[in-house]
Amino acid sequence: MNHNRNDHGYQILGRVGRDEFIGRTAELERLVSHARQSNGQGRAREARNTHGLLVLLAPLAGVSELLRQTFDSLFTRREEVVPIYFALPQAETTAVSAAIEFLNTFLLQYIAYRRDEPALCRASLTLNDLVKLAPTADVVWIEELVEAYNRQRFGEDDRELVRFCLTAPDRIPARDARPFVMFDAVQLGNYSDSSIPFAIEIVRALRSSGKPFVLAGLRREVLDAASRAGCNTDSPALMRLEQLGDEDARNLITATARKQQVSITDETRDLLVQQLEGSPFFITSMLQAAGEQRLALDSYLACERLYVDELMGGRLNRYFSSVLEHIAPEPEIRASLIRLLCEAMPEGKRSSQFEGLRRRLKLDSARVEQLLRLLHIQELINCDGETIDITGNSTLWQDYLKSRFRLDALREPRALVVADVMADALKRAPQTIAHHYRRAASLPLRELLGKFNSQLVPRCLFDYGQFAAAYKGGTAEETAAGLDADTNLVRLPQIFHTASGVSFSSTLRPFGEESSVVAHAFSGGIYTNQNEIVWLVARVESKLEVNAALVQKWLDLLDGVARKSGLVNTQIWLIANEGFAPEAIDLLRTRDAFGSSRQQFDILTDRLSTGELRQSDTANEFQLIFPMGADNEMLAASAVEQIARRLNFTAEAINQIKTAVVEACINASEHSLSPDRKIYQRFQVENDRLSITISSRGILPINFTGNAQGEEGTTTVEATDDRRGWGLKLIQTLMDEVEFERVDEGTSLRMTKYLRQSS
Amino acid sequence: MGESIKSNVRSRCVGTTAVVYASDYLNKLTGERIERECKKQLDSGARALVIDFSDTELVNSIGISILLGIIDIAEKGGALVVFSEVNNETVQLFEMLGLTRHVVIAANEQEALSRVSTSLPQSQAMGH
Repeated sequence: MNHNRNDHGYQILGRVGRDEFIGRTAELERLVSHARQSNGQGRAREARNTHGLLVLLAPLAGVSELLRQTFDSLFTRREEVVPIYFALPQAETTAVSAAIEFLNTFLLQYIAYRRDEPALCRASLTLNDLVKLAPTADVVWIEELVEAYNRQRFGEDDRELVRFCLTAPDRIPARDARPFVMFDAVQLGNYSDSSIPFAIEIVRALRSSGKPFVLAGLRREVLDAASRAGCNTDSPALMRLEQLGDEDARNLITATARKQQVSITDETRDLLVQQLEGSPFFITSMLQAAGEQRLALDSYLACERLYVDELMGGRLNRYFSSVLEHIAPEPEIRASLIRLLCEAMPEGKRSSQFEGLRRRLKLDSARVEQLLRLLHIQELINCDGETIDITGNSTLWQDYLKSRFRLDALREPRALVVADVMADALKRAPQTIAHHYRRAASLPLRELLGKFNSQLVPRCLFDYGQFAAAYKGGTAEETAAGLDADTNLVRLPQIFHTASGVSFSSTLRPFGEESSVVAHAFSGGIYTNQNEIVWLVARVESKLEVNAALVQKWLDLLDGVARKSGLVNTQIWLIANEGFAPEAIDLLRTRDAFGSSRQQFDILTDRLSTGELRQSDTANEFQLIFPMGADNEMLAASAVEQIARRLNFTAEAINQIKTAVVEACINASEHSLSPDRKIYQRFQVENDRLSITISSRGILPINFTGNAQGEEGTTTVEATDDRRGWGLKLIQTLMDEVEFERVDEGTSLRMTKYLRQSS
Repeated sequence: MGESIKSNVRSRCVGTTAVVYASDYLNKLTGERIERECKKQLDSGARALVIDFSDTELVNSIGISILLGIIDIAEKGGALVVFSEVNNETVQLFEMLGLTRHVVIAANEQEALSRVSTSLPQSQAMGH
């Protein structure tokens, strides 16, 4: 290990250099920033008790290297923050021995930092050795700490000793340095033969210190420990770590292969990305193994041969074995568990009842509960009360389980099992890649639905017949101009949940997970029963315009899904690359279903994305907040007058804008029962328009539908005899565009005046 | 011919015609002040109201609704209402909300007074 400084600082605990650390850059920066920011804001953070950061890890996502890199980065900076990294050791069997190990590690890393001797971090020293190495400024408190430890050690209260060790960092005199403790692998903290809930003790010790800390581990365990330690009322910050994305995984494979001098091709690289499920640990393990054996991974065959070797006896095997041994240390129970998990792999056999499992495992309820908890933490099952769903979606995990079952339980010859696993892996490889390519090429239905967000779009984008009649054969510019001028608009719902149609009905499985979506939504963004609607969206495969028979089939299929799932208010939307034949269009209209071509879908995607960008463009934006009442709307009117003058609006238009702003402010004041009695205004200046948004907090007024304009662009707010209801009518008359934006509370009215129309 | 500035609303009487001056911003508060002043003038025997908008830059919908209330009251009492020196933008607003159907709009106060004198019987206009 190289402890010398290089361009990126020390490499001390990091297994790779900073320049080789791929895929978690933002997370690394956040961790370092968390340690350092707490520096200046310690008191404020303490007061809010938000000094903790929980790093929630998806299984196999990998966090240790991230924390090690954080350690190295902080160590290199030589600031007031002293990094302490402690991974709960799997070899320890009791909370006491783990706590003592922590005390030792803490002192070792602290003294290493204070002496600026990185090499000390990896030394194996006793506490007495460490006292001798302590810098002069720290000798007194370290000596006292070790003496106190020796007294505690021979006491009878194990829990006291654990707490003593875990709170050792609190004994650093505040003037000297401030520890930043990072605990890794919290899921290992529940030692089976210990009565002390170690993970909870860790959380309590860290919280009571009032200093910044990081607690990392499998997400279910970390959240559980935090909750049981009473973190519900002072929630620490959260960082979620998933497996690497495709791009990061590709980069990691390329970099590691180069380092290990392993030859790979683009094809094998992409296969490894998919097959190893973006796990940094599996990726580096495989490439290290290839490097050690001087293997080239330049064909599917070479990859799968190494994969099977690793699975049957290499690093992958050791990883899965250690997980199983942690869950079930007893060989007989482990064997029963493997059988049980193996038998639950086929579809339809994945749900079990607690009592059934208990009988099959032939264990008492407490032991079964303990096993289930550990399986749940590893996300190998979902355990929620009586029903247990066996998940284990990882193909690697399934391969491991099957091979273990055949070898250990069925006693099949090893050569046969190896051959079968490799044959399966080879047969699966092209399918894995094909599935990946299909997924990459599929329409991003869920992403698009997520952007709907109550936006207004031309209705013809959902009616292929109308669209084709108006724009087929036209240029992109002509189509865009036509759509811009189209006043027949439809307001999209606000989608709050999307899932693949396959999750609702297995009848959709043959078309692929990505081909259909069930999206739950509220129309108008108003959260009432009447406004609840479910969109059933499907991509229909066809190289030509889809005919009526195929449309009929899909409509029936989706109606069936709706009926089976008890979905009442639904909207079907079919998307076909080349659109729909005339009879199919008629059928869609008869059934009140939408139908779009790929071109319409792409245009919709562009327009909704542009809407998002426009909303987030704040470069030419003015904001004004003032209290309600006391004629303060005149301040807004004066402000908007100045802005409108800059845009060269005519005097008449300026007066119209001012009047509209005044009316909007009055509306906001009168209707919202605002708790803060404030009016929030945004003036957005663009080349050809001025957009003004007037918002307030408070209730959603019942007489506002959330639509200043209805779906057909008609006014929904009726003029009434009540003269006090004139405000909105005036605004709509004076401005070119008026719409209520969806807000959770209060009102937000957006109005636009175009320069070309008014000046 | 006397002038009153009580309750911040300037007004004066010309025979049985009361001239009431609206402020720069006609909203709920200033509208109600004008309303009160107009009622007072009507109660005091005024047979016509001239509301002068020469200082008025901006009118809001609440202000307009109050003006309609004033017109209602005046009509019920058989009094005439004339608006004078209303800027173009405000005239547009009045038109949008139908106010111009119920009221005469004059270019300035002088024209308003002469409209009143031609509309009312001479004896009423002169206060006899």
